[in-house]
Amino acid sequence: MTVSSLEPPKHPSTDDAGGLAGPFFLSCPYCHWSTLDIGVEFEKHTGITQQLARIKNGGQVVPSLKEREKAREKRREARDGLAPAREDISVETSDAADPTSHEEVFYNLSSFYKSQLSLGASSQPFSPHHDINFSSPSSFSRIMNLYSSASSKKQKRDKPPPMREASSVAEGLTIHSSSSDHAAIQALKLHGWDHTLTYSQKNNQLDQSIRFASELRPSPTLLCTKRGKRCRACRHILSKPEPKITSTRYKIKLLASNHIPRLSIRALSASLPLPTVPSSAAQGFDYSHLQPATTIHFLLTVSNPLFEPVRITLATPSTIMGKVKSKVTILCPQFDVGANTDVWDEALSSAPARRGGPSDSSSGVANSTQVEAGKIWERGRNWTSIILEVVPGIFEQHRGPTFGGGQRSQDDDDLAEDEDVLEIPIFVRIEYESDVAVEDRAPGTEHTRLGGKEKREEAFWSVLGVGRIKSLP
Amino acid sequence: MATSTDRKVSVSRPRPTPSRIQDLAATPESPRTPLLRSTSSIYGSPGGSFRSEEEYIVLELGSRYLRGGFPGESAPRCTLNFGPDQQRRVGDYRQWNPEYASKRRKRKRGEEWGREYELYRMDLRDEDLGLIEDKFERAMREAHNKYFLLDPKPRRVLLALPPLMPRELLSTFLSVLFTNFQAPSVTLLSSPILSAVAAGLRSALVIDMGWAETTITGVYEFREVHQRRSIRAGKYLSEEMAKMLNEELAKRGIATPGDDITFEEAEEVLSRVGWCDTLDEKTSNGEDEFVDAPEELPDPSISIPFPLAIPPTTLTLPFSALSSPAETAIFASATPLHDFDDHDLPLHILAYRALLSLPIDVRKVCMSRIIITGGVSNLPGLKTRLLKEVDKLVQQKRWDNVKSYGSANEKHERLIRERQQRLQARTSDSTKVADTTDPDIESTPVLAGLAEPETDPIADKLAHLNMKMIPTATNIGGVIRGVESLGAWAGASLIAQMRVKGIVEIERDKFLQHGLQGASREKEISVVPQRQSMGPGMRPGAGDRGSWTLGVWA
Repeated sequence: MTVSSLEPPKHPSTDDAGGLAGPFFLSCPYCHWSTLDIGVEFEKHTGITQQLARIKNGGQVVPSLKEREKAREKRREARDGLAPAREDISVETSDAADPTSHEEVFYNLSSFYKSQLSLGASSQPFSPHHDINFSSPSSFSRIMNLYSSASSKKQKRDKPPPMREASSVAEGLTIHSSSSDHAAIQALKLHGWDHTLTYSQKNNQLDQSIRFASELRPSPTLLCTKRGKRCRACRHILSKPEPKITSTRYKIKLLASNHIPRLSIRALSASLPLPTVPSSAAQGFDYSHLQPATTIHFLLTVSNPLFEPVRITLATPSTIMGKVKSKVTILCPQFDVGANTDVWDEALSSAPARRGGPSDSSSGVANSTQVEAGKIWERGRNWTSIILEVVPGIFEQHRGPTFGGGQRSQDDDDLAEDEDVLEIPIFVRIEYESDVAVEDRAPGTEHTRLGGKEKREEAFWSVLGVGRIKSLP
Repeated sequence: MATSTDRKVSVSRPRPTPSRIQDLAATPESPRTPLLRSTSSIYGSPGGSFRSEEEYIVLELGSRYLRGGFPGESAPRCTLNFGPDQQRRVGDYRQWNPEYASKRRKRKRGEEWGREYELYRMDLRDEDLGLIEDKFERAMREAHNKYFLLDPKPRRVLLALPPLMPRELLSTFLSVLFTNFQAPSVTLLSSPILSAVAAGLRSALVIDMGWAETTITGVYEFREVHQRRSIRAGKYLSEEMAKMLNEELAKRGIATPGDDITFEEAEEVLSRVGWCDTLDEKTSNGEDEFVDAPEELPDPSISIPFPLAIPPTTLTLPFSALSSPAETAIFASATPLHDFDDHDLPLHILAYRALLSLPIDVRKVCMSRIIITGGVSNLPGLKTRLLKEVDKLVQQKRWDNVKSYGSANEKHERLIRERQQRLQARTSDSTKVADTTDPDIESTPVLAGLAEPETDPIADKLAHLNMKMIPTATNIGGVIRGVESLGAWAGASLIAQMRVKGIVEIERDKFLQHGLQGASREKEISVVPQRQSMGPGMRPGAGDRGSWTLGVWA
């Protein structure tokens, strides 16, 4: 249970020592809240939800829907016997008697509307919302009527009487009375802050109109589901879990990351000229304190999950939007990345060539520690690295001293959360040729010859998180 | 939907006139089956099949919350907010960092109060519709995957919206529902009407105290007839609360400058211990006998902890101070009337003016059916206070549009006096006054407005007939009375349960083809005449099905 400390896990424990007899209650081992706090006990240790639905806080039993209906019938009968003058009085008095719960009001209203609708609808058996139902006398009479009557009397058709309003508590009308307001204010006065609910407590309750701790109710844990997913545009199934409950595998799993190039960024540390091992390269670099206003080189590695070589075009705004204006330059915005091969090919092929040191790289690779524009830095089987030149911006802090010390602390705070994080938006466009697959050929590309190669093109925006810019002292 | 079955029944026979059949069915003695069995699969008639696909999801969309659930349930399954915690990136786990939770977050520069907790604002000039779309989609996905747990079968959507909605925004929401959630149709319902439905009423004055603004809508026979709005609502109130708390903290010298109350803290204080003075103590008019109970405390002090402040502190306030934000934000009792603009009228004045601008018959019905709903209305005491204030205004000013008669004041007062005298005379001796040819009265010419209305025997008879069918309690009018409502979501749930067809029902294909432009220009398509002219088995023609309207949203 991570939702909130309020929600007790379903953990029935017995009151009595050991035995499964006696009343039960729910308790939370984390916050030591138990349903005894709200005066709820259970007779059985199973079917907690059903039991809970029938118990109000304080142990009162909620009448079930059927019982309520029965009671309503009884009340109606009793009222029919009374004189109409007295009826009103009884309605008024029952108003003030006790405030009915939200749910009860809802069911009262619902049954009232149902009765009103059936009054109206029977005069219109052909309204589209009337259930065509042979077991219903009205529709039966209608059907019989279809076959019998040719002799239609010209009668004036009555308009259906308009539905009336609810007139009593039994029909769901609740007149506002100030007593509940006063009661709430009194309770606030009496118990103060600690008796009220926090925002998250309230938010996790089913009935969100409550405000006092005594009104809390345990809420059931939400069930987790396994879901399939479809493409938004073409309804193609993208993922489909195995139907077995215990299995976590997928029948169909088409991930976007298997189809678009993966970008990764790390610092090109000057101390390590040959960043052959990525982890060691990053060791000497403090990403959370980027020096502002100095040029930092980053290594952007684009790896290709596709089995075709792709041509990549990168673009970025030269100045990053936001409070801290950093400058970004992609030194080599257009380059090729080799095709992906099977994992086993990679493993079985000569291991040293895999990492593609600067020595075995092909032409066009900047074969030195010198950073050069227009050249790629390094290339591997299905990945290519290029250099990104970043000048982190300066916080606008120089105003500080002119206003004196108090203002300065204000200025320090001036930067909102996460505004000092250097994030580079990059637009990636990939072009590649692939076999024309029949099923996923777009309708627009019909003219391309079957079985041949098809030029494809994809583009997306992505954001590279680089690090946090250090503030100038 | 009903077309196929109806046609089957009536295809080969000459149709009898509808009147005959309807008469048969309408006779009160004819036995009826209860409409709407809970399950639709029980009957073997061909009507059974088409019902199954008519399953609904009921949504209510406000500017800060999305409520969703199933029809026939009294409360929504989920209430999702659009706070900043909902907008974290994947892999952003900082909210679980204990250090993070113990730090106040700064409001961004120039950002309006509570801006990042809102889904949308009515002013779309600097709104990012794409962001709104994504937020809404995310909330919908969460509702679907976490709370509804439905099979992937598409469901119709019943969407409760405020009646004023920018078309761009509406189109954004609809396209999310249609494309991402594959809803076959979306029915739009306006929330004041739903509030009236959830109160069991046909007409009401709905005061919806929402987040950005309060709307006061006159609803008459399920139709919106008048609307007024004011910015005195949740946002104003919570900002006022923050201001008050900041001042109190500064007064006590426990606050470091620049370390202001955050939005969450203000909201929390407001929802936990905020209240509204009901003015009982000052004007004890005896009608609230349950108030002066012995446990009436003079003015206890409430201590509010602020663990996130630097250093963590506890503010102890007199209880009465906590009602002052509501006082200033909602009623603005300290400000003279001429200082208000049209957009920030205090609510009681706004409600009074809304009532005043309603036609007199509608006013009579609406004034005794005042529904106060919306999030702010949960503030203890607020409803009572608001009703009391409106009542006071009505007592004071009557229904007179003229605020000040100036030099004509004397004459006006004389008229009023005359009217009152006449009223007294009438009540004392009704038979005598009814005789208008009486010489005493003729000496002072009777103004038409002051003359006793003629009794219309036919109207009386009709009223009497009506009384037989309709309980007297529903005829109440002319007094200020508040009615509790279950809220717009519950109303939508009721409507969906009853399978009432909405006027604004947007089909998926039509929307995807034309967008909102496809809606017919007609403001409102009345359902009633169609229904009456419909013979058996006849649906409104295909052309009629093809056009759809946006109703009040057009």
